[in-house]
Parts: sequence; C-alpha cells; structure tokens
Amino acid sequence: MKNLINRIRGVERDVIEKPGDAGDAPFYKPQGDEIEIFQAAYSKRLPVMLKGPTGCGKTRFLEHVAHTIGQPLVTVSCHEDLTSSDLVGRFLLEGEETVWQDGPLTRSVKEGAICYLDEIVEARTDTTVVIHPLTDHRRQLPLDKKSQIIDAHEDFMLVISYNPGYQTVLKDLKPSTKQRFVGIHFDYPAEDVEREIVAKESGGLDADRVEKLVAAGRKARALKDHGLEEATSTRALAYAGELMQAGLSPRVACRAAMIAPITDDPELIQALEEIFDAHFPESQAA
Amino acid sequence: MSDPATNDGAKPEAEELVEIEEILQHLEDISFVAHRDTKEALPAIRPFGATVARRWIETARDLFFHDRESGKSFMRHSARLAEHMQTVELWLEQAARFQEWVNSNYALEGFMAQADRVYAAWGEAGEREWAEIGLRWCARSLPDARAYFETDFEKLSGGRGIEGLRALIEPAETLFDERGLTLDAYLEGAPIARNLVGDAGLLSWARRGADLLKAGRSRGEAYFRLESDESLKLLLEALPGFRPRMNGRFLRLVLMAWLDADIPLADSSWKPGEGRPMLETDGRRLFMPAVMDSREEAIVATQHAAAHLAFDTYAQPDVERLFERAGAEHPPLDDKSRITWRPLFAQFEARMFSFQVLFDLAEDLRVNARLAPRIPNFLSRLVELARAHERPEGAAGIYYDFALRAHEALLRGEPQDPRLARMLEPDADIVTAWSVGEELFADDAFPEITIEERAEAYLPGLSLNQSLPVYPQRKRDGSLADFRDHEAHDEHKLEHQKQEEQPQQAPEQAQKDPDADIQTPQQETSGTGGRIGTGIPQPAQVAKRAAPYTPKKDGIPYPEWDYREQRYISEWVNLYERVFDDEDPERAATILSENADTLKRLTRGLEMQRPMRLAPQRKQLDGDELDTEAVIDYIADKKAGLSPKAFIYRRRAVQHRDTSVLMLADMSTSIMARHPGGQGKIVDRVREGMMLFAEAIEKVGDPYAIAGFASKQRDQVNYYWLKDFNEDLNDTVRGRIAGVSGRLASRMGAGIRHSLEAFRRNSSQRRLLLILSDGRPADYDDGGDQRYLHEDTRMAMKEAVDAGIHPFCITLDPSGSEYLPAIFGPGHYTIIDHVDELPRRLPEIYLRLRQ
Repeated sequence: MKNLINRIRGVERDVIEKPGDAGDAPFYKPQGDEIEIFQAAYSKRLPVMLKGPTGCGKTRFLEHVAHTIGQPLVTVSCHEDLTSSDLVGRFLLEGEETVWQDGPLTRSVKEGAICYLDEIVEARTDTTVVIHPLTDHRRQLPLDKKSQIIDAHEDFMLVISYNPGYQTVLKDLKPSTKQRFVGIHFDYPAEDVEREIVAKESGGLDADRVEKLVAAGRKARALKDHGLEEATSTRALAYAGELMQAGLSPRVACRAAMIAPITDDPELIQALEEIFDAHFPESQAA
Repeated sequence: MSDPATNDGAKPEAEELVEIEEILQHLEDISFVAHRDTKEALPAIRPFGATVARRWIETARDLFFHDRESGKSFMRHSARLAEHMQTVELWLEQAARFQEWVNSNYALEGFMAQADRVYAAWGEAGEREWAEIGLRWCARSLPDARAYFETDFEKLSGGRGIEGLRALIEPAETLFDERGLTLDAYLEGAPIARNLVGDAGLLSWARRGADLLKAGRSRGEAYFRLESDESLKLLLEALPGFRPRMNGRFLRLVLMAWLDADIPLADSSWKPGEGRPMLETDGRRLFMPAVMDSREEAIVATQHAAAHLAFDTYAQPDVERLFERAGAEHPPLDDKSRITWRPLFAQFEARMFSFQVLFDLAEDLRVNARLAPRIPNFLSRLVELARAHERPEGAAGIYYDFALRAHEALLRGEPQDPRLARMLEPDADIVTAWSVGEELFADDAFPEITIEERAEAYLPGLSLNQSLPVYPQRKRDGSLADFRDHEAHDEHKLEHQKQEEQPQQAPEQAQKDPDADIQTPQQETSGTGGRIGTGIPQPAQVAKRAAPYTPKKDGIPYPEWDYREQRYISEWVNLYERVFDDEDPERAATILSENADTLKRLTRGLEMQRPMRLAPQRKQLDGDELDTEAVIDYIADKKAGLSPKAFIYRRRAVQHRDTSVLMLADMSTSIMARHPGGQGKIVDRVREGMMLFAEAIEKVGDPYAIAGFASKQRDQVNYYWLKDFNEDLNDTVRGRIAGVSGRLASRMGAGIRHSLEAFRRNSSQRRLLLILSDGRPADYDDGGDQRYLHEDTRMAMKEAVDAGIHPFCITLDPSGSEYLPAIFGPGHYTIIDHVDELPRRLPEIYLRLRQ
C-alpha cells in the first residue's frame, strides 16, 4: 500500500524508466562536438567513456543526451566498496527460499537502458572484468552465480566516466579496459559559455554578479596543482550562484560553495579568499 | 657649600690646610705625576671649603696608593666634576668606594668620566642610583662594572631616564644570579634589543642568550652582539606586523592566481632598525623584508612588484633607451650581467633622492594602472592603505600626498595631473616615466629631501624601483606565464655552496654593513654604478649578490615550546636525519643466541597475535555471499518458530588490527653508564631489548621502525634510523641495533616531532610511538632549567596526540615518576626498575599496548 502511494506521489520510481514527455531535457550547453560524437556512438551502440575533471558537466551531459534520444538512464556511482555483485545481482533470502535479484547493470542489459558507471576506477577491480564482455562485439553479461549468460538488449549502452589525474597512480584503469571505449573529452567550459551556464543554473542571477563570479572562479582554477587537488568546478560556481540568489552575500556564498568544500589548507584558503574578496568588495557584500 | 662635612672630623681651617700641604708633600715624594695632577685639580676643589678639599686630597691619595691608575683617573676628572656638578661630597664618597676592590681602575675611570653628565641629566637622586647600580656590579664582577660605567648612560637608559636604566639592568642582575650572565656581554646588544622587544621581552631574550653563553662563549657573545642568526631571529619574531616569510606560500599563491606567475620569494637583507622595510626585486625574485606593517601591505607590495616585472619596468630594450635618454652610456652590467643603476642618477647629484621619488612615482602609477583591471581590488586596497598610513611629516609628506592623489584619481577615474596623465597612455613606458619625472622635478613644489625622508615618501606597498642590480627582462607586455626561476634557482644553489666555502666574515663588518657583500669602504654617493642612495654606496662592479639573512637551513627545522613565554619559537631546532652506520653484526649474533630462549617463548605467544588480514566477516546483515553456517542456523531457528534476525551474509572486507609502531630510543651519553648492580652497561640491555622487540614485531607482522636520537644544543639534533618502516629486518639492521651507543644529550621534543613526520608517511589506523628513555630530557644549552625541555616534550606529546598517534614512554629512570606523569600523562608511561627486565618487558609492553 505504502509503495503504491509513494509511486503515485512520484517519490519513488523505478531505476529504469524512459524519460517522460513531460518537461524538457536537463539544461546542457554544448562546449564542442560532444553531442554529435555521442549520438554517433549511440547509433552503433559503442561503449563510451567520458573524461574530464570533476564538476565540468559529464553527468549532466549524459542526462541531457539520454533525454533527447529518449532512453532510460541508469546511473551507478562507483565507490571503493562496490563489488561486481552490487552491479550484477545476488541471491537474497525471501521467505523459505533464496531468490536472485538483478543488479542495476543486469537490469539495464536486459531492458535496454543506458548504464552509466560514474567514476568507475573507484570500484573494485572485479567490476571492470564483468563489463569486458559487454564492451566488445559479444555484448554479453555472464552471471557466474547463476551459470547464465545474458545477451544485451539492442538498446543497451554502457557509459563510464573517468577522471584522469584525479585518481592516484594506483587506481588507473587498465589499458585493456580503456581501449574498449569511445572517449569524449570534457573540460571546464569557455568563459562566455560558463557565464551562461551559471546564470541559467543559479536561476537568473544578475549579469554583473555572474560575470564576477565566473571571473573569480577562473582565477581560482590557476591554483590547481599548487595544493588544490580539485579545481573550482562549474558546478561549484553554479552552487555559489544559487546561494547568492537565495540571499547570501557573495563572499559568504563563495566561501561556502567554493572554498570550504575543496580545501583545509589554511594558506590556500587565504589565497582563495583573497581572489573572491577582490571580485566582491566589502561594500557590495554588505 | 653648606654641606657640613663635619662628621668626618672637621678641624679648624688652618689645620686642614696644613694637612693638605702635608699630603701634597707626601705625593711629591712618591710620584711626580700624582703630585702634578693633584695640584692642578686642587684649585677647583678649594672653593668648596678646606674640609672638603682635605677630604678630597685624602681620597686622591688613598686611591693612588690603592691603585695608581685609579688615583690618576680620580685626579684627572675631579676638576671637571666639581665645576659641572657644583658639589664634591657626592662623587667623592662614591669614588672612594672603589677602593674596596682591586683592579677597579677601569670602572672608576668610566664613573669619573660620566658622573657629571649623569648628574646634569638626572639630578642628584638619579646620579646616586646610577652609581649605586654600578657599585653593585663592582661587587659582582669588575669587568662587568667596567662595561657598565664605560657605556654611555643615555644608551643604557634609552632616553627614558633612570626608569629606562633600571629596566635594562634588572634582567642582567637576575640572570647574573641565575645563570652567571656577564654584563659586558649583555650590554652589547641589550639596548638595541630593548627597543625591539620592549622591557617585558628583554628578560626572555637575555635568558636565551645566557643559556647560549653558558654552552659556548663565542656563540653566546655573538648572540648578544646581535650577530648570530638566532638572536636576530628572536628579535624579528618579537616585532609586530606581518611576516612575509611565514606566509610565503600564500603570497606566491596570490601571484599565481592573479598573474599566472610563479615568482620565487626570498628574504631581503633588511634588518630591524634600518628604516622602513620595503620589497625589492632583482628581476628574478622578490626580496621580502622579514616584517611588513600588515598583511594588506604585503599583498599590495607583492602584487605591485610583480606588476613591475609584468609591465616591463626592467625590459632590456626599454632600459637601454632609458639610459640613452638620460644621457648615460648603455647600462653598465655587473659580473652577473645585471643592470646597475647608479649612472642613471649621477647627474642629479645631491638632489637625486627627490628625482628618484618622482621618477618612481610616475612609473608606479603606470604599472598600477595596468595592473588594476587584472586585480579588481588592487587600487582600492592601495588607496585605503595609504589613507590609513600616517602621513609623513615635512618634505616627504608633499610627495606622499601627490602620489596618493594620483592613485585616488586613478581609482575614481578622475582626471590626473596633466603631467602624470601621460603615464596612463597605452604607449607609455619607463622612458615616459623618466620624462615625467624630469618635468615634475623642475617644479619647485617638490622640495629637496634627505635619504631618510625618501623612504617615507613612498605609499605603503610601493618601494624603490631601482635599488638592487636587476637582471634585464625581455618584453612581457603583461604576461608572466613563462616566468622561470630554474636559472635563478640553480645559480642560487651554486652561490650558496660558494658562500659556504668562503671563510667567515669579520664580525664587525657583518654588523655594520647592511649589505654585507659589498666590501668597499664608504665613498661619495655620486660615483658610478651599483645600488643607489642607500647610504652605503656601491662600486660599479659588485662582487656578488646581496646575501639576505638566511638562517642555517641544512637541517630540518622544528619549533620548540618555550613555557616561559608560553609560545612556540619557530624553526628553533635543527635536526639532521642520519643513517646509523656503527654496525656490529658480531654482537648482534651474540645477542640473538644469548636470548634464544626468551625469543622462542615470545614467538609462541606472538603467533596468536598475527593479524588475520583476509579474515571474512561472518554473520553480517549484508555482504557478498551467503554464510552457509549462518543460513542453516537461521533456517533452523525459523523452523523452530523463532524469529531470528537475518545475519546470514559473509563479507570479504579486510579486517585487520592495523597498527604500526615507531620505537624512539634516547641515545644520550647516560646509557653508557654502568649497570647498577649487574654486569656490563645499561646500553647492553637496551640493545637486547631493541633486538627482541624487532624480532617480536617481525613475527607479528606489523609495520615498524626503530630510531634513535641524540642532541648537541638546539641546532644539532641527530636522528638516526636504525630501521625505517620500509626496511626489512636484515643483518644490517640487526648490526645497527647491536651497534647502538650513547652520545651527547637528549632533546626529546625534536626527536618526537621528527617521528611524527615519519608517521605521516604511514597510513596505519593505529600508530604507536614508543619512547625508550633512561632519564629526563636535557641538553647542553637548556641553562640548567629542567622545566624548559620538560615542557617542550609535553607539547611535542600533545602534538603527537593531536596527530592521532599514541605516545608511550618506557623509562629506565627510577625517579621517572617524578616528571613523567606531567609530560606523558598518567597511564602513558611505565618504569622499568630493573634494567635486566628490559629485554623481556619491551616486546611484552608493545603487545599489551596494541591490543
């Protein structure tokens, strides 16, 4: 009963659900030819690898294209405890007997969805072995525990994201895995594009503040690799914009969205504050 | 002279006169000089009455008999003192007291030479106290008293009268009793130090020096002469303001963010008391003074200096045109191909300071105007700083106001002074600045200024543009992205080596010459070449680069806690990491065979403790696989009508007791002591203990390291690796453990701090620092103050706990319970009363701790 109510309220929905007709595709502003490449790869059902720094729009891009081509999207965020059974499925006990439960990957393969393994290198190495047969001409998913092989649905597509440099050397994808994918490279968008994105995402922040915010963010990016592991991302800029829109002063918003989350290094914090404070002088902050 | 000297048996005047004559006669018989000097001085004394004169001549005679030199000093100065002070009794009595000591003649000479001036300045009460303090020192030590009386009293008082004198001398009196500090050493630097640290800081500054003095005379004296890096460093730390050096990384990050330029920062040669600290550049690095007024000023100064580099103040083609424009030949280069600036300003002769300020003003305005669009708050910050800064008085104020007005106009976008407006045109460059400077120079509104005033004329954050010789730059037009410092770095390294090879500089020179590398005598400032107008002129050829004040850097610096001041002293201790190379493999074999039984017993116990790294976690609520046993139980329970919880999965997650341990052994001389009541030495048991410890842990499989430390004063703490975490326990390591011997002292805090650094490379969840000691932390330069290193060790302990490391101390010192609870806290130490137990107990203690 409760499940039904939740479903009616729209709180709960199945992971594999075609994007409805209602609503537009999530906002995405192309930086280059990434949409064309993806659509070409999709037409041939080739596996795709999205490369690029955190917060530059990889996930948003995928949501956007999935929506435009009308395919369900199953996103699995990989973490270091994620095992192959989390992807493929496992036996559960139900009443008197054991029951097999498909994992998200198996369901995508069976039902023909785009399966997106976000930050795949974070997962345990046994997961990458599972996806190998899916990424070549076989397009099969072996279920060892059930002694079954599942042939992929014709609409199934595998997408992984991969963030070079972010991982340590210990955690790189094997070359044999990498070379199975079509790569699309992402980076932080150009300044004018970024401004448009921040304006849109923040829900109509005025042009003056958007311009300053983006300019400051780009300056802050210069500190990457000087102690800053993650550069100020477009997402962080959008968050800062949203916070400002919600009534926070620009300095507070920048601190909350772009400094506090990424570093604890006091000198870096000072340097970043220096940049944001310069763009948003005290008078305006008040 | 109403003062009745009657109590000293005043006699009728005639009698007194006779007596005077008798004494004169007596002196004549003994010494020609004494007789002559007395006769010369007597007329000045006589007006104070016959009794006074008689007593005076008696004193002169007594002093002369006591010590000829004393007598002569007394006679020589008497006439002057009597005339200036219009009294005799006061100083007469004081001088007479010098007879108490042998060889007090120098002190007396100093006293006689100054007494009248002290009297004139501070009155009678002041003079009395001044003399009294000095006489007290005579009782302590005559050389100190001599130093006291010979030092100008105004210098001692710091211009604050008797109050200042008292404040200066009090710490010395305290420390003389406590530490045997000598006044003559103290007085060398104390008056200067007092100006920097204030009366309150003087005692702690001097105490540190006293400790050094006790440890080594020449080093302590250098400290008090303010020649050694340690004293300078302490004084700098006491100065208020912002320390660019401590914030170097921040400033570099700022430059990187704004200008995409990685410009190296270095310390300038500025020292306290040398006027306003300013930032300088040689075109490759920015030289930062040790202290600047504020953080804001430091930021503005670095940004501004970088702007000079970015916007071509030192671009070669421009500089060449500049020299041409100024009517000088092509820019003279020194032996490092750096441009020297002097010929440029030679034509202005005495008025060059004024021109320089105006020339810099124009050029600064140009680069600031270009920098402003890049850094949104640069100009507003500069103007704010300049407004808040105290306007200099006199001539400098005129320049200051002019510069401030120009920048305010720039900030608000208002029209500039028509002469300066040219600097804002897009094609303006350094040559334009020269012409504008000349035009302004011709204006009578700008008066002549002195070199001291020149420094005051600059807005905060701005500084002399042509002070150091500069490596010519290529045209950059605002882009510093390709700014490289490799070359500078290599060269710096090379120079560093060269400097080390050179013999040490004569101390006097190091003291007086602010730019110690230029070893030429003072000369006319209108010469050619070199740095201009710093008061110390330079030759056209500079032998080598200005060597900024650099503390000893070859070791690893660590701070130390000073409980007396309740603060950390940064980079106080120098630690050297060494691989221990006194191996003794034969002894290692002996130790192992002698302790074979103990080892076997330990091993059996240890096998149980081996961490099961791949043990699956059973009976989990979720997991990778079903746990068959648990499932059977579960089903059985269920069939039996119970309602069991579904803990039926197995998980392969690694569960391990992830502990790593570093044993830090105190390797001070005391472990070489004889075994109390046993055979051999303590060190034998220490070796055995460490050996068994290593073997035992090897069995358990935990990552571990063994290190030792020994210190010789603050700047030489040696840290020996017997076994690093990533080393295997092989014969070399065993040989090292067997070769351990005692040496020097135990500065434990530094050893602990370095161990924390070593732990940082280790990612274990539980990290244990096991300290093996045989006594209190102590060192040669702690001045006998046990508490000092105790407190420092306690702070180091706290740092360890904060870093998530569990410290534990094992001591062989039976009196350890007196001080260990305070240092390590209750329950964090154990005392091994019988040294023989150490080998067996050491592994046991570890195993107990790791559970």
